[in-house]
Amino acid sequence: MALPAIQLESLSKRFGTVVALEDVSFDVQPGEIFGFLGLNGAGKTTTIRILLDLVRASRGRALVFGADCRRDGVEVRAKIGYLPGEVGFYGDMTGNDTLDVLARLNHHRIDAQWRDWLLERLRLGRADLHRRIREYSTGMKRKLGIVQAFQSEAPLLILDEPTDGLDPLMQDVVYELIGEVRRRGRTVFMSSHILPEVERVCDRIALLRRGTLALVSTVEDVRRLAARAVRIDFDADVDAPPSWPPGVDVIEIAPRVWRVRVVGPLGPLLARLPPSVHDVDIHEPHLEDVLRRYYDDREPS
Amino acid sequence: MRATGGLIAHSLRRFAPMILGVGVLLGAFEFLLTQVAAFLLRHSYFSQLATLMPDFMRALMGPAQLAFMSFGGIVAFGYFHPMVIVAVVTVTVSIATETAAEVEMRFVDLTLARELRRRDVILRTLTVFVVAMTTVLGLMLVGTATGLACCVPADTPHISWRVLLSLALSLATLMVCWCGVALAAATMVRRRAVASGAVGIAALAAYLLDYLGRVWDPARTISRVSPFHYFDPAPLITGTPLDTWDAAVLVTIGAVGAIVGAVVFARRDI
Repeated sequence: MALPAIQLESLSKRFGTVVALEDVSFDVQPGEIFGFLGLNGAGKTTTIRILLDLVRASRGRALVFGADCRRDGVEVRAKIGYLPGEVGFYGDMTGNDTLDVLARLNHHRIDAQWRDWLLERLRLGRADLHRRIREYSTGMKRKLGIVQAFQSEAPLLILDEPTDGLDPLMQDVVYELIGEVRRRGRTVFMSSHILPEVERVCDRIALLRRGTLALVSTVEDVRRLAARAVRIDFDADVDAPPSWPPGVDVIEIAPRVWRVRVVGPLGPLLARLPPSVHDVDIHEPHLEDVLRRYYDDREPS
Repeated sequence: MRATGGLIAHSLRRFAPMILGVGVLLGAFEFLLTQVAAFLLRHSYFSQLATLMPDFMRALMGPAQLAFMSFGGIVAFGYFHPMVIVAVVTVTVSIATETAAEVEMRFVDLTLARELRRRDVILRTLTVFVVAMTTVLGLMLVGTATGLACCVPADTPHISWRVLLSLALSLATLMVCWCGVALAAATMVRRRAVASGAVGIAALAAYLLDYLGRVWDPARTISRVSPFHYFDPAPLITGTPLDTWDAAVLVTIGAVGAIVGAVVFARRDI
């Protein structure tokens, strides 16, 4: 079995008396797109910085493709392309110079064609690259950050809020790039608090709440935890059934409309419907519907 | 090595205008000092000055200080003029605090997320410092040499290369000392202004303390804690060799600072 791309074992981090991470353990498998969720201050960036050995864990360990992030830091970082949440470029350098400098900090050479393709996809033209970064908009800086992270073709991409500051069209391009690198066999570990984004691109997610791991699951399984909203319209007045199948919660019962929430299969509910059904409208659940409960700081039921 | 070389090249490129600017300026200053000395010599101002000076002043100043009242003394003064010291210490502190600047602006997140060790960042700073020190002192020597070679009268008293090199070396030991101090400070903080401000204040305090120690006996003992106490280039003008003990103290302070900086930076959270 292949080594996990990322393996966190009882990872804890304290900054003085502040607990940033407490006993966090999970794996990310090679080839996965893994979403790392949590509110601001939940510990996402601290975890990422431990993976890069920018921050040292107080307890536990982090491994990347089997190598210890602390002990074998250089070996680990050779396999990582990193986009920080806040990218610190020199304002007086041009975009081109910045990409060149950062490319030289990798031991292997950058494929110029791949870089050009990335620049083209993100619509960073030659003229943009020859301008000083202080003249860039927030979105352009973000795009340059994405190029520097992707250009090394590292087996693992760690992206901290990758679409932050990008317009919706560019967000779509980033999702396509993430899909492209996955097709090339790379692993993507991305932090985000944009749930539709995570739902769209990620295979699995982990959710941090105040430094502790609240959930690790596939996106599909999380969706299954959510109730589907079902509205049934009738051609004639009908009576409500004396009992409801398991997993059905009634929201509203009117003579010609029922509104219910269903967790689990719909079959038992549909089997009990009278023949005068006019229409059934099923609202598929979103990741957000479930995760908001976790975000709420209350123990989810 | 490729990654470390890349980082060094990047920093050298960023610092090149400052290093060359200060080097050329100080080189020009050294050149002009040779012309000032030649002017004073041509008009016999040195002998007039010596005549005017009371005996007790001569005794108080000693032979080394008295050497200022000579062509060689004025030329040599360019290697320990307070403004020259301010300039070279400023260049040194700017280079040595680059680490704090990179942490502050988060550029370090991009560099250390690559195949670099933290000690490579320190090695980069030390390499850039050595290049800067060599360039600045080299340009100062070029300025002096150019002035002596082309633009002073033929009968001008000779000032040996040994004296000039020992003056430059003496200034180099001071730069090494402050590089170590600034590097240690820079690795402990997250903002360059904090590191360079603290080192600047420390340097000023040390300079004033040393000055007090030189002119006021009660302060002489305490002035030994000032690095400037171990920077005494005046005797070099008369051909006295550079004091090995003084040089060793300054280089040791620099080395300890660099080691402390490397250890602190290797252990800290960034």
